[in-house]
Amino acid sequence: MLGFTAFWLLSAPRPLPASAIPAHTANIANGEILYTTGGCRNCHKPKAEQAGLDPNLPSGGFPLKTPIGVLYPPNLTPDAQTGIGNWSDIDFVNAVQRGISKSGQHLIPAFPYTSYAAMPVEDVLDIRAYLMSLPPVASPRREAEIPVAFLLRRGLGLWKFVGLDTASWQPDTSQKPGWNRGSYLVNGPGHCGECHTPRNLIMARDNSRFMMGGPHPEGQGKVPSLHGLVETGRYKDQKDLVLALQNGEVFGYEHMSSGGMGQVQANMAKLPQADVEAIAEYLISLK
Amino acid sequence: MLSKNLFKSITAGAIVLGLGFSLAYAAADDQIKARQAEMKANGKAIGALVAIIKGEASYDAAVVKASLDAMATADAAAGEAKAWDASSMEGATVETWAKPEIWAEGSDIGAKYQAWVDARAALAATTDEAGFKAAFPALGAACQSCHESFRRPKG
Repeated sequence: MLGFTAFWLLSAPRPLPASAIPAHTANIANGEILYTTGGCRNCHKPKAEQAGLDPNLPSGGFPLKTPIGVLYPPNLTPDAQTGIGNWSDIDFVNAVQRGISKSGQHLIPAFPYTSYAAMPVEDVLDIRAYLMSLPPVASPRREAEIPVAFLLRRGLGLWKFVGLDTASWQPDTSQKPGWNRGSYLVNGPGHCGECHTPRNLIMARDNSRFMMGGPHPEGQGKVPSLHGLVETGRYKDQKDLVLALQNGEVFGYEHMSSGGMGQVQANMAKLPQADVEAIAEYLISLK
Repeated sequence: MLSKNLFKSITAGAIVLGLGFSLAYAAADDQIKARQAEMKANGKAIGALVAIIKGEASYDAAVVKASLDAMATADAAAGEAKAWDASSMEGATVETWAKPEIWAEGSDIGAKYQAWVDARAALAATTDEAGFKAAFPALGAACQSCHESFRRPKG
């Protein structure tokens, strides 16, 4: 009984209070860049068989197969009943940065709030403003198909002590602005480390092997290391990596399409030139 | 006498069957190797075209033609070797990064292959640099879309 009480107390969701929301005038254009960098739509896209839904809107429902079961990422359009139309700023921030749903449950970290936690709240509010500017789509939520879902979700509260670092991203003042912009996009909204940093036994990212690659989360093959991209001859220089991120295998850059990277690359192609250059500048600095 | 004949028949049958199996193994490996040879040839051919697109090499109609010819040759050789038959996944011993989805029900590999054939034809019909640069992305996209769906990550 004592054990259970301890479990219950320790695993409780710890949301941010409403006072965590700063005074902020939303910047929708910035929100769109961060939404694209995060590739939100890649998981929150509509399911293929739901005819008539715009595949470019994040109305959710496409099955996401994970090691613990099938998830159906929810509707991010501003529909009041089935989307985020009725969510407040703090509801949205707690979901994105603390992995806590509007109803107060832990969210499965297939949703990379573990990276988004590093973002300034203002940027998260800009993403919300961008989502709220999209046309609302009615697309009801579908429960995840995971065994012992109740206990697993609650248990995530314990996992978060190790798996969720709530420290904000900080610039490195010894580096140039481009490098810092790249570092932020890669480690915050871009959440590259969710796949490119291997995980430890309890499935938390192992930062002692930061961006060193590892087993593919879908089970087959490997995710490559992002260290030494130039030194190992994978790319000639920053310019070459920029072209690779913008054009992928259309320009014959090998392995830019496999294992889910194709969707990531397609998002990179939509980013402003300066942001892709910043991402490349940061990535090639990983020796 | 009859039973001895029957025994002989069964033995002969077993030998033929066994031979068939080992042939199937060898066949699948050969098919995969042919597929990989095709991809290697295609990669080399497109590399020369990408160099023009990126401005690393100047436009040369002869290089474009040679690259497209190399792809056509690789395509034909793969067809000859039945490199893309579903049988290539039966009993193979060499590693392949081809996903079984290629041969799954409802697979659009046929349409994706046709897009590559069409893109090659469109590129072959170009006569100058502007035309080449306008037609090239469709060829690159054909490579990309097939790899995205049907090639698993290495390792």
